[in-house]
Amino acid sequence: MLPRLFTPVALAAALLAPSLVLASEPESPTAPPADNPQPWYRPRHVVLQTAGGLGMISAGAGYTYFNDKVDTDILLGYVPKKYAGSTLTLASAKFLYSPFTIRFSDKWQLKPVSVGAYFSYTHGTLNDEERGQYTRDYYWFSSDTRYGPLAGGRITYVRPAKANGRPRNVSLYYDLSSNDLYLHSYLTNTKGLSLGQILVLGLGVKADF
Amino acid sequence: MLQALRSRTHSSLLLLAAAFSISSCDLLEFSPNDYRAPADERDLTAKNLDKLRQLPLPAGDTLRFVFTGDSQRYYDDADDLVASVNQQPGISFLIVAGDISDFGFAKEMRWVNEKLRKLKVPYVTVIGNHDSVGNGREAYQEIFGPLNYSFIYGDTKFIMTDTNGREYNFDGHIPSMPWVNQQLADLQGARRQIMITHVPPQDEDFDPAVRAPYVQALREAKNLVFEMNGHRHSSSVTQPYNDGVWYVNSDAFSERRYMVVSVWGDKQFRVKQIKF
Repeated sequence: MLPRLFTPVALAAALLAPSLVLASEPESPTAPPADNPQPWYRPRHVVLQTAGGLGMISAGAGYTYFNDKVDTDILLGYVPKKYAGSTLTLASAKFLYSPFTIRFSDKWQLKPVSVGAYFSYTHGTLNDEERGQYTRDYYWFSSDTRYGPLAGGRITYVRPAKANGRPRNVSLYYDLSSNDLYLHSYLTNTKGLSLGQILVLGLGVKADF
Repeated sequence: MLQALRSRTHSSLLLLAAAFSISSCDLLEFSPNDYRAPADERDLTAKNLDKLRQLPLPAGDTLRFVFTGDSQRYYDDADDLVASVNQQPGISFLIVAGDISDFGFAKEMRWVNEKLRKLKVPYVTVIGNHDSVGNGREAYQEIFGPLNYSFIYGDTKFIMTDTNGREYNFDGHIPSMPWVNQQLADLQGARRQIMITHVPPQDEDFDPAVRAPYVQALREAKNLVFEMNGHRHSSSVTQPYNDGVWYVNSDAFSERRYMVVSVWGDKQFRVKQIKF
């Protein structure tokens, strides 16, 4: 199992490394306020994640609103054939609300609770429904569209802001999720299944830019 | 920990340690189609047949087995079924006639195995239409094994075949008649044979182009005790084609009934229904 995990972990480590190297450098003076506001559509951060049902590795970008309390991330994920029977590409959207921020120091912040939901579409499944293959409602579920709740947290390392005032923070996060079908299985079998069996863990890193 | 994160070496070690502690569990799922599983939860057909070989049936003895189908998403009922089957005396193994999973996910197949591995006897399965959805066929092969296989136990040859024609868009190849004919033609030393599938030939999910040759092959097969199915969630023992061939349809786990099937002689049998 470890070699399979190592790649995403190494990637996460590589993305994080520059911030850790910079940690020992003297802090730059307070950045001047941004005089050129960024266009609204410019993403606020990039994201790299492993697992969470959204790919062996998934990468994307995201937006933050409402005083840094709400995040929307758009991810593109990849699962190699040897882990799922065919090469899968997943397009996902995550929505997270983090009501609290704990500031330990100038450099470290914690968002202990994030709750939200995700939606994902999987491209590349082998026996995907073809027109006319099934009568109407033969299967009541989709084989490639999943959605479900998320909950997690994140720890942020505050790096000196850019010259234009934009933050360059780096966060590590985790989230626990489940999908509509796992939840349906659990809710109809609360004796025969445990909640732990339907939970999925995702780990990732977010970098503001 | 915060101090450690300040150093690059320490942080790498921390990440590695985290990876070590997490890789041992199932939580890090890449996708619901992710079929990675520990070694003892893969190739279950071969493993169960190995167990069965350890419990040989003396030649000439009556063979008794439990027949059921469609375990799909009935995990509460699976616990009760296992408890009930474990009370049955003199049975050799249990057969699930397809639809082990509901959504074609390996995780569901493993959840069912988690229940059925508590049986005192081994169990074997055949693939159902729900096991074929999405990447389910690949998941089934990873967790259980081949889609078409046969084995001999005591004096009986069991032939397990994928008949989920609709899942292949009725391409004319399911069930695979060359394979079925070859299997039915050679008893390989057994005295009688039994065909086990998920979708019965009289069902609209069976490929209509293959129905006639399949039914005919069964009619002509030597010492065929019966053909057994799941899929319909209702039990029956009938001759739908009035050709002397018995078709036995199982209950689903949801019906909270299973069959204890006894087989002896050239092709004698008795079916007893058990409520649990």
